[in-house]
Amino acid sequence: MSALPNITLSTGLNSERFAMHLSQRAALPDWWLETKKTAWNQFNALPMPTRNDERWRFSNLKGLDLDGYVLPEEPAVHVPHLPDFEHAAEMTFSNRQVVDRSTLPAELAAKGVIFAPLTEALRDHGDLVRRYFQKYPANLGSEKFVALNTAFTATGAVLFVPKGVEIEKPIVVQHTLAGDHKSAFPHTLVILEDNAKATLVEYFVSASAQEAHLVSGVNDLHAGPGSQLTYVGVQNWSEKTLAFQTNSIAVERDARVLSVNLHLGGQQVRHESHSRMLAPGAHSDMCSLTVAHGKQEFDQRTLQTHAAPHTSSNLLYKNALINQAHTIFSGLIVVDPDAQKTDAYQSNRNLLLSEEASADSLPGLEIQANDVKCTHGATSATIDPEQLYYLKSRGIPAHQSYELLVFGFFESVLDKLIDQNLHDALGNFIQDKFKKL
Amino acid sequence: MPEISETLETPDFIENPVAGIDQSRGDFTYDVDYEFDAGTGLTEQTVRYISSVKKEADWLLEFRLNALKKFQSMPLPTHWATKDLENINFDKIRYYLAQGQKPKRTWDEVPDDIKETFERLGIPEQERKFLAGVEAQFDSEAAYSNIKDIVSKQGVIFANSTEALREHPEIFRKFFGKVIPTGDNKFAALNSAVFSGGSFIYVPPGVKVAQPLQAYFRINAENFGQFERTLIICDEGSEVTYMEGCTAPKFSTSTLHSAVVELVALKGAKIQYITVQNWANNVFNLVTKRGVAHEEAEIKWIDCNIGSRLTMKYPGVVLKGRKARGEVISIALANDGQHQDTGAKMIHAADETTSNVISKSISVGQGRSTYRGLVHIPKHLKGCKNNTECDALLINTNSRTDTYPAITVRGDKNATQHEASVSKVSEDLIFYMQQRGLTEAQAMSLSVNGFINDLASQFPMEYSVELKRLIDLEMEGSVG
Amino acid sequence: MSKLEIKDLHIAIGEKKIVRGFSLTLNSGEIHAVMGPNGTGKSTLAKAIAGHPDYSITDGDVLLDGQSILAMEPDERARAGIFLAFQYPSEIPGVSIANFLRAAVQARMGEGEELDATGYYKRLYSKMDSLKIDRKFTSRSVNEGFSGGEKKRCEILQMAMLEPKFALMDETDSGLDIDALRIVSEGVNAMRGENFGALMITHYQRLLDYIVPDYVHVMYDGRIVKSGDKSLALELEAKGYDWVKNELASA
Repeated sequence: MSALPNITLSTGLNSERFAMHLSQRAALPDWWLETKKTAWNQFNALPMPTRNDERWRFSNLKGLDLDGYVLPEEPAVHVPHLPDFEHAAEMTFSNRQVVDRSTLPAELAAKGVIFAPLTEALRDHGDLVRRYFQKYPANLGSEKFVALNTAFTATGAVLFVPKGVEIEKPIVVQHTLAGDHKSAFPHTLVILEDNAKATLVEYFVSASAQEAHLVSGVNDLHAGPGSQLTYVGVQNWSEKTLAFQTNSIAVERDARVLSVNLHLGGQQVRHESHSRMLAPGAHSDMCSLTVAHGKQEFDQRTLQTHAAPHTSSNLLYKNALINQAHTIFSGLIVVDPDAQKTDAYQSNRNLLLSEEASADSLPGLEIQANDVKCTHGATSATIDPEQLYYLKSRGIPAHQSYELLVFGFFESVLDKLIDQNLHDALGNFIQDKFKKL
Repeated sequence: MPEISETLETPDFIENPVAGIDQSRGDFTYDVDYEFDAGTGLTEQTVRYISSVKKEADWLLEFRLNALKKFQSMPLPTHWATKDLENINFDKIRYYLAQGQKPKRTWDEVPDDIKETFERLGIPEQERKFLAGVEAQFDSEAAYSNIKDIVSKQGVIFANSTEALREHPEIFRKFFGKVIPTGDNKFAALNSAVFSGGSFIYVPPGVKVAQPLQAYFRINAENFGQFERTLIICDEGSEVTYMEGCTAPKFSTSTLHSAVVELVALKGAKIQYITVQNWANNVFNLVTKRGVAHEEAEIKWIDCNIGSRLTMKYPGVVLKGRKARGEVISIALANDGQHQDTGAKMIHAADETTSNVISKSISVGQGRSTYRGLVHIPKHLKGCKNNTECDALLINTNSRTDTYPAITVRGDKNATQHEASVSKVSEDLIFYMQQRGLTEAQAMSLSVNGFINDLASQFPMEYSVELKRLIDLEMEGSVG
Repeated sequence: MSKLEIKDLHIAIGEKKIVRGFSLTLNSGEIHAVMGPNGTGKSTLAKAIAGHPDYSITDGDVLLDGQSILAMEPDERARAGIFLAFQYPSEIPGVSIANFLRAAVQARMGEGEELDATGYYKRLYSKMDSLKIDRKFTSRSVNEGFSGGEKKRCEILQMAMLEPKFALMDETDSGLDIDALRIVSEGVNAMRGENFGALMITHYQRLLDYIVPDYVHVMYDGRIVKSGDKSLALELEAKGYDWVKNELASA
């Protein structure tokens, strides 16, 4: 990989296209345009990851080829059907435009809840967006790709829930990409004020399984003091997609965040997630479920940072691998010297369903305080032949047996979703993938 | 693999149970009835003397002499183990004491805290004198002969090492020194040269011994000796449980105890070996324990280490046959001036073998606790599983705990799982419990027992109750 | 009828002075709320009264029914009838809720008195039911793996089982959503009566909608600066803590 700065892509995502993108947004606040310009320069200045970069160890660096992708110009005609369940509000983006949107229930709007697409939020609530956009930037290795996102982002939902407001039903956002060699840069911003409560569910899907896509998506999740936030992300891009997903979770005093990410699609996916426990009582639950098949590669990097006493975090990443799939998990827990009484847990479990599948696991702890409780564990296991035989002996065919066992394997994470509808919706997605295998 | 490089200094306040008694001059109360005296220090003469007193066969003398050579040529393993080992003075040790030569002391000479421990643990009067080194013999010959009669009807052989090798060489020689070869480590070599006492057990095919066999039955001075050698062979499909040690603190003039325990579980057999060790605080307790499990056999080590100045013990199982199973359950408590350096070794040498290691250690005051594990599963094996769990509990911030697991798994047909955790009984936790009305002592007892609870329940009932009481005692005054 | 008197209390952590002259009298049957910005000493006050070793009382006294408790060990104070609902309750691995509470209840009984197991469990289950804590939790280790809300409910369960004279509730509402807040409040309200008094420490007004206090005090800079009834809390929430600061400055 070349380490030269000023890499410009031969077609599609180049300086010309960026200039055009900016001019299309001339009506948006100046600070926003400046932020984009800075990001574009940063993207060009940063080198692509190299073999020596510890944060990209085990990754398939050759697969990080950004050439040949363009921005989509027309909204998609066909929008894939997604599981439907009771929700408070929804928004659908397709090829960088809003194609569908429900009105926020009157009582929520009256309380000051904001649920708007990025562009609208920049216009109507610019200060709010400015205060929280990339407040806690990524630092797990994907800085270059996050910069690309900032530079080109046009769509994404902004959700703001004021003090004390609780939204029981989930809010749903769907991002669809259609057209071969198209790219997308969704950016989601969630802000919960003191004692607020909300659930956001996001779907990321490709319109067609045959198309190659490039995606760099970013989430900024801010949980204010005493708030409770549940975030569910379902990634089902086409199997020819190169995707980067960076999540930043900031947790304030006594707040609790649960994030569950389901990964099914993509050819090569890099998912980074950083939870920051900023004040006493903060808690973050980070979960991820991945079904990897064929030659898919899922590269998962996480960081749990404890910057205050009496904070806790719990990470559970489960990967099920079939065929020659490859997963990488590298997780670190960092506890600051003053963060006494921290309770942090990290667990990566890999279920290998074939001989050629491989799972790399690098759990890590860096503890500076002396009164903490941290554990990390990693396991790799193959399906118990006894279990498989038992299922087969009841007439259940192999691929379905695998599905059952994988569900059993995933259950402890799915169980964290109290909303049964959500639980089922995710279950259906997983089942669909198995049907196609 | 990181090495421990500091010396564990001997704190001044360590109670020396033999204070005032000069060991090197043998200033004890002796019976006048004996003739021989092996003296101090270890030479070829000592070894020959031991062998002749026991009236051993030539091959056994050869074995001992060979071992002596190995012992003398091997260095101390201080490149990875604690430098405290250098404090062992091999020249000052008595390597063999015959019946009646065992040093005695009067009841008055027994330290008060030892007496108090006996009181608190409810140890019967008679046993106290024996344990405190006031008497050389405990009159439970009756109990021992009883057990011996019952099991011999099933064809079980239960004898001491000398007797067993003399009367039944055809059974024991086959495995003697094979599970743990003389050159395995310096202390195994030492034991092989001067061993005495210990239990040799053979269980015939299909026999399941109902009663646990206890070293305690084999009471005579030698069995609380320094260099016990135990060999248990369970023939196909047989089962036995063996228990050694007791919770009461054991007095010893000798500072070095180096035992060797070899277990052989043939096809389908099951051996469970339970040890509760509570040597006095001046003892170096260096033990080599290993078992070989054949096809579908099972070996389980249940180990509790509470006493001694330094214990180094890594019970191991070689999983030699298909579907063999090995397990090590270990509780260690290191108080001021103690170092418990324990762990487990699991060597997988056949398909579908499983091993399980659960280790819980408690470090109090200046105590130090180390876990060293070795799990080896080579590439060509299929279907092997290992589970290792080591948890450490620190009772105040000066405690130290180290964990050095070494897990080598090759091939994708095998699975390992390793979890380690370190937690504290902190001032805050004690305050929380006190705020609910519990005294500090009650709070400490509850949390420590909570920590070891599921392991303590693996010990036979009588042990587990005593164990809890003993740990409560050790915990008193340990916070603040 | 009991009385807890806090008289001109000064508390420090090491060299640092936190509480500077706090005075309050709490009678049985009364519920007092203490509100204030973070860092003003509210938690320190509660923990010091309960006897936490980290805090030193440099001046003043705390009297329970006319007797000073400052020389008493934390467990003695507890048995005398003081309960602290912790802001961050500890986890006790390996010790079940049932066993822990039993030990605590037993600790209050006289020498030789034995706990009636059936009666104990009956009480425990009925309180768990009203606090919507699954009965299965009796065998779970105290607070281990509990969410914030579950920990707070467990504190209230303990309070209900131990029946203290005076409860000091340290930010019992922090991190709870409305449902959990309602349940916890019902638990506390069920204990209200002439033999029970409570000091609720809170940062947010909303708790006081559910557990309506008899008195509200605002704590600032280590002491009470304003007292009133529930309407004071509403005023505080609306105007923010800066209002208090300004009022003091201008006074």
